[in-house]
Amino acid sequence: MSRLLGVIRGQKLALVGLAVLAFFGLLAVFAPWLSPHDPKEMDAPMLPPTGSHPLGTNDIGQDILSELFYGARFSLLVGFLSAGISTVIGVVLGVISGYYDRLGFTIMRVVDVFLAVPRFPMMVFLAAFLRPGLWTLVLFFVLFGWTRTTRLVRSQILSERNNGYVEAARMVGASDFRIIGRHLLPSTVPIALVRLIVEFQHVILAESGLSFLGLGDPTVKSWGTMLHYAFGYPTIFISDVWVWWAVPPGMCLTLVVLALTFAGFSLEERANPRLRRAWRRGRITDTPEHG
Amino acid sequence: MRVAQYLITLFVLLSLNFFLPRMMPGDPLSYLLGDPSTDAPILLTEEMRENLLEYYGLNKPLAQQYKDYLLGLAGGDLGWSIYYNAPVSSLLLGRLKWTLFLSGTAAVIYVTLGILLGAISARNRGTKTDVGLLVSVFSLGSWPPFFLGMLLIIFFSLKLGAFPIGGAQSPGAAQAGGFGRVKDVLHHWFLPCLSLVLTHLPGIYLLTRNSMLGVLGEDYVRTARSKGIREHRVLLRHALPNALLPIVTTIAMRFGFMIMGTMFVEVVFAYPGMGTLIYQAGAARDYPLLQGGFLLMMAFVVFFNLAADLLYARLDPRVRRA
Repeated sequence: MSRLLGVIRGQKLALVGLAVLAFFGLLAVFAPWLSPHDPKEMDAPMLPPTGSHPLGTNDIGQDILSELFYGARFSLLVGFLSAGISTVIGVVLGVISGYYDRLGFTIMRVVDVFLAVPRFPMMVFLAAFLRPGLWTLVLFFVLFGWTRTTRLVRSQILSERNNGYVEAARMVGASDFRIIGRHLLPSTVPIALVRLIVEFQHVILAESGLSFLGLGDPTVKSWGTMLHYAFGYPTIFISDVWVWWAVPPGMCLTLVVLALTFAGFSLEERANPRLRRAWRRGRITDTPEHG
Repeated sequence: MRVAQYLITLFVLLSLNFFLPRMMPGDPLSYLLGDPSTDAPILLTEEMRENLLEYYGLNKPLAQQYKDYLLGLAGGDLGWSIYYNAPVSSLLLGRLKWTLFLSGTAAVIYVTLGILLGAISARNRGTKTDVGLLVSVFSLGSWPPFFLGMLLIIFFSLKLGAFPIGGAQSPGAAQAGGFGRVKDVLHHWFLPCLSLVLTHLPGIYLLTRNSMLGVLGEDYVRTARSKGIREHRVLLRHALPNALLPIVTTIAMRFGFMIMGTMFVEVVFAYPGMGTLIYQAGAARDYPLLQGGFLLMMAFVVFFNLAADLLYARLDPRVRRA
């Protein structure tokens, strides 16, 4: 934990980013208590903002502010689960493939095939056929999310394992398990953190993109789905409805993405000398694949 | 080795494209016809039904179907669109020019701008210029493309009336010809292009900046400086060419994502490109068209990934030797 804090300390952009994330995290957790209504409960449609509906109601009479809170829940949950699981898998496989040569070779061949698959088109294609819910989405994102982490962690382990102190540990009879756990794993923490954030950002953009295209679960409240229905409403641009219907979910999305960008950028700057080498191969954050 | 690997990937994708619809519950044709409970069940005429049955050869054994599918692909046959009642390949090709025009011009702009700003930022790392550039590029570029597009339409088209709401040209413009038509097309092009430039800029910018930073710390840059070579010459002749290595390959890879990357922007601006076509195919549950579009995109991406890999090896002697 102290290592973690050490990485973050002194980085203003990172602090701003994390504060914004924490804010939305709280909204997501406390959505049921903060929302003035059940987001599926129906009142009169297309009400302008009033005391009982601070952001009005949508085309089927649901309270938009409540939708917004529950949307934070879904978007962040998908992002957090997908990014978390794929980072853990990526680190574990990366360490294994960096430490055990023969197993590593096999794992890297699988990674190569996965890396050549364009992620977002693949998601659109699968989503068009399968109409994913929460867990299907997470499964997709994990399936295509672990490979980059594995590759980076592997090269980190490869450069680390021939250092004197690892040799020394081996000499005094430390087990593989101990060498990995005590010496090699900690050196992968900065990479894992950066990857977690980049992955998080990718997933949030991809999920909202799919929902915006109408390829998500139509009954789930997410920011992308809200934008989908708002944009599809015939007179959305003619009246002022867009101000309280389309702008809030769009702004929330933008803020979360921006916060993640700042946090990821600062971490990377901080972790530099070591990461810089990898950077030059152009693969650490390779930019989000949204539009 | 590289080529073989990409061929394997392509083969896996082709097979997935074939088997996935067939693994769905119910027979493939009933799935193609759409779920009757949805808003858009598709009614087939006898002729369309014939076309479909013939294309999918659904009465033949699976192995034979698979072989026919691969042979058909080799001959450029991507299937038959239910919604448009036309061959998928010609539909896609008809839209390709608009997508290439929009994304190509946008790419030229954001690549140039990204490299320029990235180099400036790296040169002034940690100063006000650097931080200012970082914050403004990120802040402008973090908008999800579909939301950004909506806002641009609202402000520039509806409030100010400065640009058309959507489309690639005015209805009568195709006949007008000459300068009037060019002006009309550019008028429609501006806002979608602006959205693309803004969303893609941060990637190239950050990559250039960090790549430049890495290079500026190298021994040969220090050597050049200590020899008394002037600073701008060190930057332009010694540092930038080396820093551009990863950028060139990233750009090559991005070309593969062009169709997909413009999809959101095309949809929001109702631009008649391939992205809009594929989106409409999804909405209308026109699966042959969706699959054809998907295949074409995949082929694009895999091809450009391979090109990027080969290019990188050519440009960097260290990789070539390894």
